[in-house]
Amino acid sequence: MNAANLRECAPVDISDADVMAAMKAMQGYIDITPADFREVYRVAYALAQERMLNALKAADIMTPTVHVLDADADLIAAATLLADKGISGAPVTDSDGRIVGVISEKDFLRRMGAGPGGSFMRVIAHCLKSKGCVATPMAGRTVRDIMTAPPITAAADISIGAISALLMEKNINRLPIVDAAGKPVGIVTRSDLVNSFCMLG
Amino acid sequence: MKFFEKMLGHTQSPPRVGAVEILWSWIGSFAGIAVVALIHYNLLDRTALSMIIGSFGASAVLIYGAIRSPLAQPRNLIGGHVLSAVIGVAAFQFLGQLPWLASAAAVSTAIALMHWTKTLHPPGGATALIAVIGGDSVHQLGYLYAVIPAGLGALVMLIIALLINNIAPNRRYPEFWF
Repeated sequence: MNAANLRECAPVDISDADVMAAMKAMQGYIDITPADFREVYRVAYALAQERMLNALKAADIMTPTVHVLDADADLIAAATLLADKGISGAPVTDSDGRIVGVISEKDFLRRMGAGPGGSFMRVIAHCLKSKGCVATPMAGRTVRDIMTAPPITAAADISIGAISALLMEKNINRLPIVDAAGKPVGIVTRSDLVNSFCMLG
Repeated sequence: MKFFEKMLGHTQSPPRVGAVEILWSWIGSFAGIAVVALIHYNLLDRTALSMIIGSFGASAVLIYGAIRSPLAQPRNLIGGHVLSAVIGVAAFQFLGQLPWLASAAAVSTAIALMHWTKTLHPPGGATALIAVIGGDSVHQLGYLYAVIPAGLGALVMLIIALLINNIAPNRRYPEFWF
């Protein structure tokens, strides 16, 4: 699934039989054929979906940034913070507070033999084949060394439809939201998006 | 090829309505036509006026038998009959020497005007046509034809529709007025 077919995401389709059953359940003669009703439904549904995808903006669904990592922090501190807070990633800022990258479990896994896909099971397999813990070579390195940069970011007025497309297209799980100066103001994760999509089916 | 394929149709007929709906359609149309016909035969009998025209039979199908249809709403019922009647009388008065042309112009112009004014009501086409082909008794009425029988008859049928169509708990009329 990529950004293109997310856009083409079909509405919950209804059949002639569904329409006929609904017409039977209503008293009175409904002056429309099932095919015409379905045509009205499809167009109206697409319009409703479009409206809902644009109605909500990042500002409405984002988690305000509470956990930001400094680019020069060492990886032990970074990993400890992520673990303590129970989050899987965070924006990384420079000394001016501007976003310079994003660090997540995937970045750690990649350095541990997970390959470009960032699969934890790949790490397990790698671990079982070699001797010793594979995380040790990362000791003494900083966030800047392993973070994903440059970061993919967006402004607070991006619509949830555009966020979905961006997450799919770039294959990322979180989108830092930044102000005009490039300082992080919040983060939208896939779960934030799932919550906002509850009405979209 | 597409042209002939389109003639095959592409969907199915809507479902048959329930027995209750059939019964209420029967009751409504019986009452509506009964009142209009009683006025016609008993009250207006000795005058040159008439109250009933064939197109009311068609209106009865809509306003008692398909009461949710946009075509059956008060705006369409009254507007469709009155506007079409005016068009029909005008068509006869200007083009009456050529009955075929007056007939065609009456119906087609009535449909166009009903579309334009959002008052499309299929029996209006008959009301326009009757103004041309209805004979001397209709022709003598002139534009009065738009008031009696077209306007007043439709109004009486509307009143009956309001009374009968709202008795059953699951039926309601109208969907909208204007």
